[in-house]
Amino acid sequence: MIKVENVTFRYDRSGEPVLNRINMTIDEGEYIGIVGPNGCGKTTLVQHLNALLYPADGRVSVDGMNTNDESCVEEVRRRVGMVFQNPDNQIVGMTVEEDIAFGPGNLELPSPEIRQRVDESLARVGLKNHAKRQPHTLSGGEKRLVSIAGILAMKPGYIIFDEPTSYLDPSGRDRILSIIKEINKQGIAIIHITHNMDEIVSAGRIIVMNEGRIVFTGSPKEVFGKVEQMKALKLDIPVATDLAWRLKQRGEDIRTDILTIDEACLEILSRLQSLHAS
Amino acid sequence: MYNWGQYVSGNSIIHRLDPRIKLLSVIVLSILILKADINAGLLLSVFMIAVIFMSRLTFQRVISSLRPFMIFFILLFLLHVLFTDGTPIVRIPFCGLSITHEGFYMGLYITWQFMFLVTGASILTMTTLPSDLISGIEGILKPLRPLGVPTHDIAIMLSLALRFVPTFLGEVDRIKKAQMARGADFKKGNLIKKTKSITSLALPLILSAFRKAEETATAMEGRGYKRGPRTYLRKLHMSSSDYAALVVIAVIIVGIQCMHFLPSA
Repeated sequence: MIKVENVTFRYDRSGEPVLNRINMTIDEGEYIGIVGPNGCGKTTLVQHLNALLYPADGRVSVDGMNTNDESCVEEVRRRVGMVFQNPDNQIVGMTVEEDIAFGPGNLELPSPEIRQRVDESLARVGLKNHAKRQPHTLSGGEKRLVSIAGILAMKPGYIIFDEPTSYLDPSGRDRILSIIKEINKQGIAIIHITHNMDEIVSAGRIIVMNEGRIVFTGSPKEVFGKVEQMKALKLDIPVATDLAWRLKQRGEDIRTDILTIDEACLEILSRLQSLHAS
Repeated sequence: MYNWGQYVSGNSIIHRLDPRIKLLSVIVLSILILKADINAGLLLSVFMIAVIFMSRLTFQRVISSLRPFMIFFILLFLLHVLFTDGTPIVRIPFCGLSITHEGFYMGLYITWQFMFLVTGASILTMTTLPSDLISGIEGILKPLRPLGVPTHDIAIMLSLALRFVPTFLGEVDRIKKAQMARGADFKKGNLIKKTKSITSLALPLILSAFRKAEETATAMEGRGYKRGPRTYLRKLHMSSSDYAALVVIAVIIVGIQCMHFLPSA
């Protein structure tokens, strides 16, 4: 479990706090979406979870280890992996397999064990045949997969994805999203930052942030049900929810706790059918 | 320049040698050629040609790796031809210089030595994966570790540098196009104008390099990087052919020392 207690953080000492008294917990195997306008502190918050940043006030602990404790930092970073926004700057190896071997190499694992983890991670992201390729010859989506494989090779309990689908085409996006879901099914907790609400409709819990605070949190249905509040924060809601909400505004008697296009179709069809029947 | 000595995949005996042995051999051969007389030079050259055969690289490819250094070779040759004292063969009018017999041979010989150096280095890089080369460098530096030489850090630095070369070439291209789209012209104009436009390329490039470096450093830290010992995917180990290569190098060293005692031809 990751515990964030009363965390306040400032980049510069006299300035406004970027994080303001944040409290949250993340359980094993959870899927959490974090949303909020640019500059609301999402990235700053998640960098606290794997000891890349330390709270100025309050405390963060990962499976009982305080991130402020120097002797735990290594283990905290192994347990909480982070896939950064720009995979180009995250890949450090000269070939795909060497990049994936970077993390396990830092853990000082013996070579045969590294080999096994590299092969396993490559298979999990579907890049088995690309082990020897050089990073600059990969497509954007493939680079992202390499950076995910590099984290998987550390065998973490939690993985943070910071806008994992930015700059990707629709097929690349779908591939990444299905891999994230797959990873979650295998028991790894996911912390997924995004601006695209459709990506996190199946998350277990969504945290909405604004100006360094958690504004509200709840299941996707609860969060996206607060359409007015989301709009006030200039945040999107899933397209299907928006559609239902607009129909409701025009006086249609329709459910608004709808998250996906499929659900919207069914709801509208049943509404049409009942109209025909009467 | 970027294509110089690029790795050519293969499975020859030279490809399979331990990178530490290859590096060591290149270093030894380079020292020997710089100290060599004509006989030793010939012997080393024959050996080099044998190595090219064993590496199954085409001669064409090896020769083409010399091309980027052509101007350097020509200058080196001319310097010796024109500025060595001795028996003049041809006097060059008006400037008081003359081509001498000694200068001509000296020029040929020195140029040959440098061609040998470049050939050796390019066979090394053509038959060794960059990452293996780096583990080789780290392996060779290993004895210096007790003296406080951060060999792991040096290896990481080298591999990061190589990893980011193509990324930066791409970045240069992007910045160039972005400026051309706003009317910059990198082809026309005199030297001063060109220098100015290079500056306008260099500044954004340096800035972006710093930004990248910071992000990369954070990502590395996030993946558990710390100074000091780490392990690798591949572990270097010596095989029988590596020991054989060591013996060959030793024989060459001894052989060349012995040649000094032969009556000179």
